[in-house]
Amino acid sequence: MPETTTDGARPTAFEPIRFLSFVTHIPHREDIDASIARALDWGVDYIVAQGTGSDWGAHWLGSGTFPATDIAGNCRPYLKAAVEHGIPFVFSVGIAGGSVHLDASLKLLGDLCAREGWNLRVGVLDTEVDREELAGMIEEGTEVVQVDPTDDLPRKLSGGEARELLRTVALAGPEPIVDLLADPDLDGVITGRALDIALFMAPAMARGIPRAAAAHLGKALECAGLALSPPDSAEPVWAAVDPEGVTVRSPNPRLAATVRSIASHGFYERSDPTREDNPGGRLDLSDCVYEAGDDGSLRITGARWIEAPYTLLIEGAKLTGYRSMVIMGARDPLLLGQWEGWVEAMKLSVRDAPRFSHLEEGADYRINVRPYGVPDDLDPNAPPKMEAAFILDVIASDQELASEIAYFGFIRLFIGPYPGRKSTAGNVAIPMMPVVIPTGAVYAFGAYHLLPIEEPGALFRSRKIELSTAVTA
Amino acid sequence: MKLHELAGVVRSKNAGPFKITIDIFFDDLESFERVRRSGVLDPASVASVFGIPESDVVGSFWEERAMGAKVTLRKRPSSNDMRCADVFGAHQYLELAYADVD
Repeated sequence: MPETTTDGARPTAFEPIRFLSFVTHIPHREDIDASIARALDWGVDYIVAQGTGSDWGAHWLGSGTFPATDIAGNCRPYLKAAVEHGIPFVFSVGIAGGSVHLDASLKLLGDLCAREGWNLRVGVLDTEVDREELAGMIEEGTEVVQVDPTDDLPRKLSGGEARELLRTVALAGPEPIVDLLADPDLDGVITGRALDIALFMAPAMARGIPRAAAAHLGKALECAGLALSPPDSAEPVWAAVDPEGVTVRSPNPRLAATVRSIASHGFYERSDPTREDNPGGRLDLSDCVYEAGDDGSLRITGARWIEAPYTLLIEGAKLTGYRSMVIMGARDPLLLGQWEGWVEAMKLSVRDAPRFSHLEEGADYRINVRPYGVPDDLDPNAPPKMEAAFILDVIASDQELASEIAYFGFIRLFIGPYPGRKSTAGNVAIPMMPVVIPTGAVYAFGAYHLLPIEEPGALFRSRKIELSTAVTA
Repeated sequence: MKLHELAGVVRSKNAGPFKITIDIFFDDLESFERVRRSGVLDPASVASVFGIPESDVVGSFWEERAMGAKVTLRKRPSSNDMRCADVFGAHQYLELAYADVD
């Protein structure tokens, strides 16, 4: 029979390590202070939050910007708790997570610290990858292969292709964060692009938790309240990890950690709901055991970590051109019944125009017309009540050319004849001015590849700063 | 019966820039089992529902504790292609939602 203490709790050889998680780019809810206070009552050893991702495609990585999010406002209540209670923190910031995104985020957080009078020493992990260094590794024989089969990327990245990348990051694993956490002078760690679960794994591993439980902790907490019921990533999650497993609890009583909410979270944006490949191994949750506690907590055990060679996911953006577009509405059944021919005639006109004769379609420019809402069952005797939309989309080697081709193409679509046409004063409705909308540079992934590496932190740079004095480089 | 009539959630999202993943969550085990038995989410059926080659179906998965099923496809055109109409892949669930379940 297990020995019991006076309060009924079983003594444990291992004191669980307690985490509070949120997401740095998601605005918190209005009752956040009460939720954080509840978590602090349960005890918090680390505050951890992710704020990087590639959901938006390559755009932010290429442009060096990020969507307008009040990162300082989002982090403020958590940093306040960290300052007042001396709790170390690990954050990733800046969405795409390159140096420029990291520095801009540090500046925003630094301004917050200066306003509040908070003195925080942070270790900064910059995970942007130098393209020359990457190209050099490839040319010395390192094979950098694509993650998922696709015809849109080379199967193996060449040194030349690496040099063409505008900006490249690698998703940091836990190891370089563990190194920074070992420094007793630091109050926290802030990283650029990092594997979400690595932010949680690092403090757990630094305190002796095996990889399987550490990664499982990360999996449950990486999107904060998205793993709760009802799911809401604006809400925090609390968890305690020990070598055997993780206990998850919602600081906000309106939400709860349930078997279903936690098991469902493994589905989110992942190709396999229970198996996930990570640097150095695969996290396998297929045999997990879930156990609900009396206090609304959920205990999860049984995660497995299957060792594999250490690889880093490399995300690199390349410039594919500049976009200009035109939005058009159409209801004429005569046109809607033969829109493909109308579009082809426009493309031919562009190709044959003397002013564009020096250009090669595909290389210098590309045209695509997207139809929206063309009815399947077109009635030749009555126009549809709602307009169908056509977006003329042009990507060209510079912005001026894109706009010129878009304007030329629009004129052809607007006045160009098609068989049986009656509308000789104009074929479509234009909802707004200017007709041609330039949207700027267009980026695509030039690399979404796995880089095998022996020293997990070798490509990254770390530094220590006083956060309140952070300035944009 | 249509799949969405048996499910509480039918959603899609990118799983990286080159894959789309579709999640179906059921409100009871009976519906979960009924759809599993029907075979509608087997790769060959998924390929026919979307009109894509079976080699573009990365896999079908069932997780009883979540009362959920997942189907993952290659994303074509991918997020890298100017013809890609869905950057987040969030609106690619409809063929499955309206697939017939025996």
